[in-house]
Amino acid sequence: MKKSTAEDSRSHKAQVVVDRLGEKLNRQIVGSLVACVHCGLCTDSCHYVLSNPGDPTYAPAYKADRIRKIFKRHYDWTGRVFPWLVGAETIMTDEELEELKDIAFGKCTNCRRCSLNCPMGVDFATVNRMTRGLLVSVGIMPEGVATVSKDQWEIGNQMGVLKEDYLETLEWMEEELQDELDDPSARIPVDKRDCAVVYSINPREAKYDPRTIGDAAKIFHAAGEDWTMPSDGWDMTNFGLFSGDDELGGAVARHLFDRVQELGGKKLVISECGHGYRSTRCEAPNWAKYDVPFEMESSVETMLRYVKEGRIKLDKTRNSEPVTFHDSCNLARSCGMTEEPRELLNLVCTDFREMYPNREENYCCTGGGGAMSMSEYTPRRLKSGKIKAEQLKATGAKVVVTSCHNCVDGLTDVIRHYELDMKVTQLVNLVAEALVIEKPARAPAVAEELPLAGRRIVVADDEPDQLLYLATVMEDYGATVYQAATGDEALELARKEKPDLVTLDLSMPGRPVTEIFELLRSDSELEGLKICLITGRPEMRELIYQRMEIPPDGYLDKPLSEDDLLRGVRKVLELSHQEG
Amino acid sequence: MSDFLHFSEHTLQEVALVFMTCVYVIRIVWFLRFAAGKERQGQTGSGATSPTKGFIYSWANVAMPWAMESTRTKRSLYVQFVLFHLGVTTAIGLSFVIPYAPGLLENRVLVLVLQIVIGLAFLVGVRRFIRRVSDPYMRAISSPDDYFSLVLLTAWFLFAVLAVPNNSAGGEWHLLTYFWLTAFFLVYVPFSKISHYLYYPFTRYYFGRSMGYRGVYPIRRVHKAKTS
Ligand code: SF4
Ligand code: SF4
Repeated sequence: MKKSTAEDSRSHKAQVVVDRLGEKLNRQIVGSLVACVHCGLCTDSCHYVLSNPGDPTYAPAYKADRIRKIFKRHYDWTGRVFPWLVGAETIMTDEELEELKDIAFGKCTNCRRCSLNCPMGVDFATVNRMTRGLLVSVGIMPEGVATVSKDQWEIGNQMGVLKEDYLETLEWMEEELQDELDDPSARIPVDKRDCAVVYSINPREAKYDPRTIGDAAKIFHAAGEDWTMPSDGWDMTNFGLFSGDDELGGAVARHLFDRVQELGGKKLVISECGHGYRSTRCEAPNWAKYDVPFEMESSVETMLRYVKEGRIKLDKTRNSEPVTFHDSCNLARSCGMTEEPRELLNLVCTDFREMYPNREENYCCTGGGGAMSMSEYTPRRLKSGKIKAEQLKATGAKVVVTSCHNCVDGLTDVIRHYELDMKVTQLVNLVAEALVIEKPARAPAVAEELPLAGRRIVVADDEPDQLLYLATVMEDYGATVYQAATGDEALELARKEKPDLVTLDLSMPGRPVTEIFELLRSDSELEGLKICLITGRPEMRELIYQRMEIPPDGYLDKPLSEDDLLRGVRKVLELSHQEG
Repeated sequence: MSDFLHFSEHTLQEVALVFMTCVYVIRIVWFLRFAAGKERQGQTGSGATSPTKGFIYSWANVAMPWAMESTRTKRSLYVQFVLFHLGVTTAIGLSFVIPYAPGLLENRVLVLVLQIVIGLAFLVGVRRFIRRVSDPYMRAISSPDDYFSLVLLTAWFLFAVLAVPNNSAGGEWHLLTYFWLTAFFLVYVPFSKISHYLYYPFTRYYFGRSMGYRGVYPIRRVHKAKTS
């Protein structure tokens, strides 16, 4: 007769979790599971710990040990030989799995703050996501996670927004925009092929916050962008990030990527959403095993680019309330996007105040990791928001800006619960508010022929190939071009030829370009001259923008396609506006 | 010197070292059998960050207490970490100096310096033990191995301090205890948390590379600088 073993009495689900754990292990995960020395240094980095003093079950290492003990018992031979010594333990029942669920979903938002504070390089947030995935694979998860995952699998977006509702919302926003601008050419194009930009959104925007779609459309219109929104595959969020289900993550991403390809879009712009950006831009190609052939950027980068290229103009005095910025965990700790939103904020409002700590050290809004969909943990979530509330209050700001829809909801709840006198908004709303829309003017006769016909342009670049390329493209489009290899040459040519535009490469040898720029600007004979900066080193832009009282009229990043160059130059010369 | 002490200083240590090396090799082979996860997506972040810069920064992190909030705000724990690990290195070095270069220990200043370094590590060990048993957060995350490893190392430091002068005039018990503890330590280490340093280069490499790829590492220290 076969002797009964512990394995025989293990529940089916527990057995599946143990087996699948083995399949999920890679070197990074194993490293995080074996390297913890229980030093406790990460304890205070977790907002749950800070807001629940005296309860060690919130400590990151404690939470990690709940899955670590199973790993040690089954996959690490020290745990198999000396389980009592290293705290290795197996898992037997569904009740134990429920306890694990309570920790993985209810006591951690996968914010990664502890990971950045571990001297050993233990990435608990990644381990926790894996734990969630194991539980989800046996159907053990909060009800909200099950519902949202189902919607994303079946309807194609995580809020179950039906296609007709979505399209109706877009139409409604388009009408509002046309009314606001009194301009029937202001459109929200759907399924337009071969556009420069395909814009994807969080379903929360279609369902609860359509204003953000309208605001984004206003900005695209003002920038003269060639853009579209897909009628299907428009959800850039991905619940796979929260549920730990790589299969869902891959399927959702593939749907979006395929759609952009079908439309022939050149670039996928992801609206302001921390988890959407992280999952689509930074994780999905791995889940979907998809080599994405087009560019992807966050709408924060897009808006900033428009300002720098002179494609939109902002009047920051329209946003004069004190503003602070909340860094989304996914953007700051998993995608490195901390400076772009600040740069834009400084251009769009008059009183920006930092929150401390900030950037990759910021605390979670409490709504991360899909917490907003797990209503059973709401009281715990709100209690753990104490540290966030203190942080918000200390800024004295009236408005908290965040580039994440989860954070909007998480912060709104914290603000309401702790009775703070603040509101939450996003950069897209502030930019739309500050947007200066110039009235359409009659097109000059020269624009009837070639797009740059009649324009006189001095092009300065020290790289001969680049100089030739820029000059040739502009000449092909009808401009008269004068070439300069240094800043001084450009200055001399500008004084002699009195052109409409000077384009300056930022890193030319000789006299600093900032000085050339100042001399061009201060020359009374060159009044009305447009100046556009071109560089392959975007970090140098700040130099000019910070130093100059009157900023350049436009800004272009290398490498430049013919289309981008033409569009940028025309924008600087204000031809696209004049032509409507 | 008795034959037993000679055996303890030489043969015993050599056997323990060979054993430790074998188990370490097995451990590393086991670890490397797990495939490393790869990043397929394009890099994010500014030009100041990259996978290479990320892992270099991550490795250098140990010497940059200001880099992480956890070490920046708990300086005493960082100092304890430095003293403790200096003590470990010195006490291990001592197990080679006594049998192979005893002449070095005729220098009284060197003896004093070694005793101070290891003695401080002993005090840190005691402090760490008190923290581990008295702090509920530390208790909650401690396994028997955490306590045992700490007690073992702290006791070893104590006997290392006594062994530094390499003087057996008053008896050999302290030298024998030090060498037997060293041997036990070498045999025990691969099975315990003390082997963390084996994984450290890997975990910090992979985490740093990934953070660099994602534009997070190296972190720019701008937290205190107002941006407007
Ligand atoms: S800081 Fe790292 S090594 Fe220390 S307890 Fe936390 S996870 Fe473990
Ligand atoms: S990932 Fe964030 S919420 Fe989770 S344990 Fe770490 S610090 Fe706490």
